[in-house]
Amino acid sequence: MQVTIFSWEYPPRIVGQLAEHVRELAMQLVKNDVETFVVTYHDYLTGQYEEPEGVKVYRVTNPVRTHIGVLTWVLTLNQEVERAATNIYYNVDKRLNVIDVHDWHFIPAAVTLKKALGVPFVFSVESLEEHRSHGANSPFNMAIKSIEWLGMYEAAKLVVKSEWMRDEVYRLYKVPLEKVNIIPSKSTHWMRNILENYKSVSGGALSK
Amino acid sequence: MTDELTVMMLTWEFPPRIIGGISPHVYNLSRNLAKNGTKVYVVTCDFPGAPQHEVVDGVEIFRIDSYKNPSPDFATWVYLMNVNMQKEAAALVNSLGGKVDVFHTHDWLVANAGIGLKHVFRKPLLVTMHSTEIGRRNGIHFDYERMIHETEAWLTYEAWKVICCSNYMVSHVQWAFGLPTDKLVMIPNGVDAEAYAKVENSDLSSFRSKFALPEEKIVLFVGRLVYEKGVQVLVNAITKVLEKVNAKFVIVGNGYMKEQLSSIIKGLGLSHKVLFTGFVDDETLRKLQKCADVSVVPSLFEPFGIVALEAMAAKSPVVVSDTGGLSEIVEHGVTGVKVYVNNPESLAWGITKVLLDENYANLIRTNAYKKVQEKYDWNKIAQQTKAIYEAVLKDYSKSSWA
Repeated sequence: MQVTIFSWEYPPRIVGQLAEHVRELAMQLVKNDVETFVVTYHDYLTGQYEEPEGVKVYRVTNPVRTHIGVLTWVLTLNQEVERAATNIYYNVDKRLNVIDVHDWHFIPAAVTLKKALGVPFVFSVESLEEHRSHGANSPFNMAIKSIEWLGMYEAAKLVVKSEWMRDEVYRLYKVPLEKVNIIPSKSTHWMRNILENYKSVSGGALSK
Repeated sequence: MTDELTVMMLTWEFPPRIIGGISPHVYNLSRNLAKNGTKVYVVTCDFPGAPQHEVVDGVEIFRIDSYKNPSPDFATWVYLMNVNMQKEAAALVNSLGGKVDVFHTHDWLVANAGIGLKHVFRKPLLVTMHSTEIGRRNGIHFDYERMIHETEAWLTYEAWKVICCSNYMVSHVQWAFGLPTDKLVMIPNGVDAEAYAKVENSDLSSFRSKFALPEEKIVLFVGRLVYEKGVQVLVNAITKVLEKVNAKFVIVGNGYMKEQLSSIIKGLGLSHKVLFTGFVDDETLRKLQKCADVSVVPSLFEPFGIVALEAMAAKSPVVVSDTGGLSEIVEHGVTGVKVYVNNPESLAWGITKVLLDENYANLIRTNAYKKVQEKYDWNKIAQQTKAIYEAVLKDYSKSSWA
């Protein structure tokens, strides 16, 4: 199985909790014989690196250096994510099974790859704009929420870490409950559940 | 399945959505490409009343949800709109079995979508740079402008060829983004002279009477009422023109300067001599251009100057500021009158010269019409564009992506 993870943070670039979580996930996947790629952002370390733990990490940087906020920054970075992910897709002879997107930042890229190449994606929800912004509804917050909505709408499955988050996802975005899997990190059957989830949505041997 | 060359145009405006010059440009280029045996898909923003999918003059048009949620600012809206455009275009290309040979973008407004599609489908990308941020703003002063400037730089970097509509724009774009010379191509903008020939002359006098008294000459300005279009230069020239000729100044278009200009005109006591029509439909515009005794284009920055070309096609004598693309379109004293940029005295001189000397006006209008037919014919322009696509595809066929 081939899996590509999108995350806007990955060690050594650590913004919040996501970086360590994604690295742990990637390492565990490699241990379970999954060919694992990570597409992430870094300003100084760019290109592909084979990490000691066997994870292939592609670090992209933003071609547009000047920004007026995180939203424009994220939206111009997505095309570089697409470029890296497409390179992975061709490097594995188009056998990429699934993309696992962590939080909203690279949802636009995942949606485009799904539409263009037929690669399904899982949306792993670490946090939501509603909670991060404490319910603020400025155009800025609404734009981020609209990207979260797009991700939930287009994703094959959602992964959340708690029942509370599942209920919040349902409350805020009306996602059908059967589309949401609760997989707490580092729980007993964490990896088994993650792999089963990937398999359930996997495009398998995509002919395109 | 034929081996017909297939192009997907990405544009943020396409008729009936008309904001500036890109919309008529892409419309005329697309339908003339179709006439010349090219399959053209246009992906553009939606517009009230316009269908999501239609075929016009052999061109397939797809209108996408242009992101109607509130956005913090215009640039952020553009980037969000591109998320939808890219998504819909990707689905469309996929449904066509990937059978699109080139992606052709128009300005930074569709940069993200074009660049993304290039990479996910591994097909060549072209861009026509109609304008630049550094030109529009006369320099880069704020982060907001720099972000757009850098987006333009990114787009020209990713494009296989960068098309500009005038020699002036070729050198401007090369300077602005530091591009290699062999990446730049000059293909002029065109004008649909037939559309003007079709306008009925019989009812023009009653049409004219809605805008001006019979004894008033019509001085026509068409353009967005923004600083770079120089409409304020025209307003400052009005008094000087009226000292010599009885004229009505008809100003077509909208923009942020409208109220300010109206109040200046009111202050001068000239409200009865100036008519702001706002935005008008194509037919009204063509009739107005045919009625105009002189058409003025006083731009401070003008990459091409399509309005001058339209006036020439309508056989209205033109007075233009000697800048940018206008300098190339008009030959002074032959196909029009050139005046100094941002100079109301010079502009007033040009206008009065045309209005007071009928022989001179007739001479330049006749020469200008000839020039339009020779050089700015859309059919020829489409053929030049198709030749560029073919040259790019030939290069591409030797690349690792082919």
